[in-house]
Amino acid sequence: MQKDLEDKFLLDFEANQNIAHKICRLYTTNKDAHNDLFQEITIQLWKNYPKFRGDAKFSTWMYRVALNTAISLYRKSTRQIKTQDIGEIDYKIKAHDYDDTEEIQLKALYTAMHQLNDIDKALIFLYLEDKPYKEISETLGITSVNARVKMNRAKEKLKNILNP
Amino acid sequence: MDELDNYKRVWVNQAEEKNKLSSKEIYKLAHSKSSSIVKWIFIVGVLEFILWTVVNITIPDRFYKIYEDLNLMEYLNIFMGLHYVIILVFLFLFYKNYKRVSLVENTKKLIQKILIIRKTVKYYVFYNLATVFLGSIVLNIVLFSNDTHLMKVMNPQNLTLDMQQVVTITIISQLIALLIIIVLLWLFYKVVYGILLKKLNKNYKALLNLEYKL
Repeated sequence: MQKDLEDKFLLDFEANQNIAHKICRLYTTNKDAHNDLFQEITIQLWKNYPKFRGDAKFSTWMYRVALNTAISLYRKSTRQIKTQDIGEIDYKIKAHDYDDTEEIQLKALYTAMHQLNDIDKALIFLYLEDKPYKEISETLGITSVNARVKMNRAKEKLKNILNP
Repeated sequence: MDELDNYKRVWVNQAEEKNKLSSKEIYKLAHSKSSSIVKWIFIVGVLEFILWTVVNITIPDRFYKIYEDLNLMEYLNIFMGLHYVIILVFLFLFYKNYKRVSLVENTKKLIQKILIIRKTVKYYVFYNLATVFLGSIVLNIVLFSNDTHLMKVMNPQNLTLDMQQVVTITIISQLIALLIIIVLLWLFYKVVYGILLKKLNKNYKALLNLEYKL
């Protein structure tokens, strides 16, 4: 990769890395697995960056590559997430509007999402990130209609886990 | 309002990752293929060891006839024992390199480790080539030091050849054989370890660049 391209990548990635961290938090439940996935996402982004043309926003492209990396890794390993792992990671609310109930809710949300399958996780994640259906369908490589149908099912599953 | 919208608000309010990476750390992550390359050096080393051991075991006994004729069987056994010990030491070093590289936490150290690994691999290849070369030199010295030995080995059918001819033929054929073997071995190592070392070098240069840049 050319040096200026490299520099641009590093700046863009550094600014948007929280996307990758959130995905890692979603697909893994301990520090080591988090770091492993983060590294794999970094390598995939780096490798694919020369193909990124800039006709989409960097963050949009990053959602796609990072989620697909997480999904394909998660598929390879059978049931990575073990229940005893949960609790190792703190799910925090922003310091300035810290709210105890919100933090409990956030933790419940993560715990519930960990029980979803890899695709449902991605769908709910994109919904929570407030992405339009067009972007969701492009990110996951499915049609817009299909995305809507799948999203409704995933939401139902999540609600059932949250309020059994 | 969807009940999940409440969770959406909570989601948006979650704190950003505490352990954010600097661009330097990101660069390193993207390039940290070193440990997997070093792992392959170790694996290839083990496979090569197995290959040569199998070759040695399956080689027909008549291959050793020349050593028997020259009364070198005992030396050969001692040498082979020593050779295996040295190879095992190299394998141990490869393994240690791999363990070390996986534990490295900063670019500078990784650069130093890569230098050590390159050296180990170079010594290993050099040792293997030198063994073949020195081994055949020793064999030839023993061969030429005694006329009866030479005639026995090179002229088993007792053809009517004078000594001069036998010596010339032996030297030429031995030189050609040695050259072919060394070149083949060198090519083998060039392909097997060369590819891995090249990748390692690329990684090394990128890391070096980074050290200067940041």
